[in-house]
Amino acid sequence: MENIITVENLKKSYGRHVVLDGVSFSAEQGQIIGLLGPNGCGKTTLIKILTGLIKDQTGVVRIDNEEPGAYTKSLIAYLPEKTYLPGWMRPIDAINYFADFYKDFDREKALSMVSRFGLDARQRTKTMSKGQQEKLRLALVLCRNARLYILDEPLGGVDPAARAKILELIMENHAENATVLISTHLISDVEYIFDRVLMIKDGHVIVDSHVNALRENGKTVEEVFKEVFSYAW
Amino acid sequence: MLGKLLKNELKHSGRYVITIYSVTAAVVAFMAIGILTKVTWIGVLCSVLLNFVAVAILLVTLIAVVKNFYESLYTNLGYLSFTLPVKCSSLLLSKVIISFFWIILSYVIAGLCVAMVGLNAKAQAGEQFSGLFDLLDMSGLREMIPSGATMAAIIAFAVVMILMHILTLVGFIYFSVTIANTRPLQGHSLLFGLLTFLGSYGVGYAISTKLTYSLPLSVYVTTEKIGLAFEKMSFGGENQLFSFGLGGTLFIALAALGLLFFTGWIMEHKVNIK
Repeated sequence: MENIITVENLKKSYGRHVVLDGVSFSAEQGQIIGLLGPNGCGKTTLIKILTGLIKDQTGVVRIDNEEPGAYTKSLIAYLPEKTYLPGWMRPIDAINYFADFYKDFDREKALSMVSRFGLDARQRTKTMSKGQQEKLRLALVLCRNARLYILDEPLGGVDPAARAKILELIMENHAENATVLISTHLISDVEYIFDRVLMIKDGHVIVDSHVNALRENGKTVEEVFKEVFSYAW
Repeated sequence: MLGKLLKNELKHSGRYVITIYSVTAAVVAFMAIGILTKVTWIGVLCSVLLNFVAVAILLVTLIAVVKNFYESLYTNLGYLSFTLPVKCSSLLLSKVIISFFWIILSYVIAGLCVAMVGLNAKAQAGEQFSGLFDLLDMSGLREMIPSGATMAAIIAFAVVMILMHILTLVGFIYFSVTIANTRPLQGHSLLFGLLTFLGSYGVGYAISTKLTYSLPLSVYVTTEKIGLAFEKMSFGGENQLFSFGLGGTLFIALAALGLLFFTGWIMEHKVNIK
């Protein structure tokens, strides 16, 4: 299977603080990968590099055999952790905006999903609750037929009941044969959808394994995570 | 993609200036009522207001250009802008073009405000206003007014100079905001942005002023013609109304273009969205 992501010896520092120190991994098409690690371990930095938001790293980063740039951005549907829609924008404006720039964006599906989420297409995002804004951003990402979905903490701000619903949506709506990279620290909620996990600690990938291989030892991903990071939860 | 960027940029940035344009339209409409109904106090009040509005339009537009550039690229909204499938140079170009458009439009509207004040003064003063022209004739100043074709050329030259200075302003602003949002400086981006702007603009204009006087390239205007001379700017030549050194303006415009290219490079390689 062809690799959609190739990362070799990736290094990134903020001043003297080394965040990523020789990270290497690759991702095949069609996999759902969990990017796991404690806060501050470099997950978001790695994601920003993959999405082209950070460029001053060293090492090799390729998305579909290209360095991050305009082409690779057209392949990636990215859900950042932060709210990135301007307050004046309404769901209908955001949908039109995405339809303008992303050829793979399904406008009709987005309108239908917004309606299904119970959002008013004409309500400004600044008057929406945090949960409503998250639903809108998720709809915008999932209505793209992208080759690679990168979701940074998609379950971070939602209650446990909504988490299962969001995961269901992700599973139902991501494009066929696409790769999904999900960064999260809520492992127990999400681990059942992973094919593979990457665990990052102190700037290094310390676990890169298929979930089935982990489970052969009779352990869940969360248990392995606790062992690796020595958490006394 | 540039067309789509321009369309969306126009839509996003328009929100900042639309309020002041609306206020202007309201004051102008009120003044028109005053002129038509010949109610003096309305005209006087609106004249005062329009003078303020003319200055406010330029200030608000300038603030809007800075605010829109900063917010759309270097706040959370940068996650949207910088992940669009376009080159950073296209992103920057669209912002330069639209800022340029708003600044020019604001200049035109501010000019119209001043013209409206003049029109109102003419309507109020009636025949006394035409006395001003008699005064011009008596003082001999009227003979110094260039001919129609020369005047058109002077206006065209002035427009080009204004456009170059607008480009310069936009170039220095975008450069300063971008430098201030690189990783080492972004903790105090407002302070560093301001310092970079004042420093670079100050130095740029100091060099520009020196070159305006010292470089042997100038435009001269007489009552009959406007022409280019490979001489230093001079005062009081034969039949000459004035001359203007071009070295400084060319330098500052080229500097601004260079800074815009550098800004594009920083956006492409060094920007770090918080």
